[in-house]
Amino acid sequence: MHIFKETRRAFRLFRIFAAQHLKKLMEYKVDFITGAVSFLLDQLVNIAFLTIIFTGVDNLKGWSYYEILFIYGFSLLPKGLDHLFCDNLWNVGYNIIRKGEFDKYLTRPISPLLHVTVEMFQVDSLGELIVGIALIATSVAHVNLPFVWYDIPLAIIAVLFGMLIYTSIKIILASIAFWTKQSGHIINMIYGMNDFAKYPVEIYSKAVRNGITYIIPFAFTAFYPASYLLRHTDPLFSIGGTVIAGCALFVIGLIVWHRGLNAYESAGS
Amino acid sequence: MIQVENLEKYFKKTIKQPGFLGSVKSLFHSQKEIVKAVDDISFHVDKGEILGFIGPNGAGKSTVIKMLTGILTPTGGSCVINGQNPQKNRKKYVKEIGVVFGQRTQLWWDLPLTETYTVLKEIYEIDDAQFKKQMAFLNEVLELDPFITSPVRTLSLGQRMRADIAASLLHNPKVLFLDEPTIGLDVVVKDNIRKAIAKINQEEGTTVILTTHDLEDISSLCKRIVMIDHGKKVYDGSLYNLKQKYGQMRELNFEAVDSESAATLDYANTFAANALEEGDLTVTTEGAMVSVGFNTDKISVEKMLNYTLSKIHVKDINVKDADIEEIIRRLYKSGVEDA
Repeated sequence: MHIFKETRRAFRLFRIFAAQHLKKLMEYKVDFITGAVSFLLDQLVNIAFLTIIFTGVDNLKGWSYYEILFIYGFSLLPKGLDHLFCDNLWNVGYNIIRKGEFDKYLTRPISPLLHVTVEMFQVDSLGELIVGIALIATSVAHVNLPFVWYDIPLAIIAVLFGMLIYTSIKIILASIAFWTKQSGHIINMIYGMNDFAKYPVEIYSKAVRNGITYIIPFAFTAFYPASYLLRHTDPLFSIGGTVIAGCALFVIGLIVWHRGLNAYESAGS
Repeated sequence: MIQVENLEKYFKKTIKQPGFLGSVKSLFHSQKEIVKAVDDISFHVDKGEILGFIGPNGAGKSTVIKMLTGILTPTGGSCVINGQNPQKNRKKYVKEIGVVFGQRTQLWWDLPLTETYTVLKEIYEIDDAQFKKQMAFLNEVLELDPFITSPVRTLSLGQRMRADIAASLLHNPKVLFLDEPTIGLDVVVKDNIRKAIAKINQEEGTTVILTTHDLEDISSLCKRIVMIDHGKKVYDGSLYNLKQKYGQMRELNFEAVDSESAATLDYANTFAANALEEGDLTVTTEGAMVSVGFNTDKISVEKMLNYTLSKIHVKDINVKDADIEEIIRRLYKSGVEDA
């Protein structure tokens, strides 16, 4: 019951902030368009690079150009969603704690984590989501997918739990700021490793492969679920692994976050 | 309503050696020092009371407020507010308090004020009827109407402060914490805010804890004050008693007929035999205008006047009671042992 009520309240808050955000977008159209275009360009450069590589080779460790486009496109979905909804966690790591602005979340009768995340939307990330969908669509037209109907719910589950992996990693890293006052650069460094997830793990050394599978499991946000959808490789590992990694990281995130709240020292005023 | 017992908050501070080499050194051997920001403070506040919480910068006022509002976890001691411990059941507890930090807004920068209140209504789960009633009341007391549809970023500081106070009172809290609510405001706005606080306290019976550096705030709102310095409580009692106890200061102001004769006055040597201590006698001379602050325990008003008038001719003369500001300035300097 309690959980149910909290969720409903979260959605209501979320709606209010979303509506306001859209209004703001209308006010700052130029800013929005610039942001979205810059995200888009970022992706296009990467894809151009990929295309250039494939003018020289037929495949990368057995993965064709279009299959890699699929993995790449898929990787942008959980990442884009996390961007869209949970971007304020970056600010927790960079400023909010350091400047003592976190005080206000602690004087409100809702979960500070929920409060801080619903407060902001990074609509620029729509660029990422659009590119992701476009890449998947292009790839599907050229690859023979071993498609069965339940691949659709599995894909949705993989995207959502992939997003949870991103969000949880950000929660854990942002929480470090409760002790160190600032953890933005740590988030930046670790988060940057998600680039590894956009390509087949076979192309990496064993150390990197194990690292992005078992330590910071970015591979579960893209390569493993995408490889299931492309080739129906072991669904238990590919999709189940994503779910387990997402849940486990989220639990760790909540624990670290709550410890952090007790260690919070505010700032002088 | 509020019981604070032996409250303590220690911060660990890394001692940094000066210079670049020092910084590098402290990366490896960091010396930690414990700073007692709040050191064994106890006080009680009754329901419906307005308590003035004062002290110099860095005394630990804000740290106490932050522990009482559940933002910081105390190192030791306890605070119980309305039967609740702020740290134990934070979400339930904060529904009963309102908090305003004058230095930073709690409003959303880009939202129009009305939307801000709608969000808060949702966060605090205020029902429609209650919300309407409270909005009408706050509107009347804080005069929000002229700017209620403007985005927060466009408000002036005075408007923003009124909006912030309204935001902290939407859910009709039992205790209101105001941390420097008049900082940076002009005299008229300050006065309006004081009136609003007094009215809210009267009509809703809200208990108010107020920190401020503005002594007008204290003298117009608080019957009782708690003063802290270096994390320790140095005074707890009524404003009246404080004035009685430390109010022996008087100020003699006069204008001599010419500045040459004013220069011949020598208070320090004349009263040298009176065992004067720091602050017991202060003289400021500006041409022919002279102002002498003195402690009536050491120098009687009569002797002061006799000496002055025997030496020079004056155009105008008056003796003023020490105001609260002067008392507190003296207290800040010396600290009080027997409070």
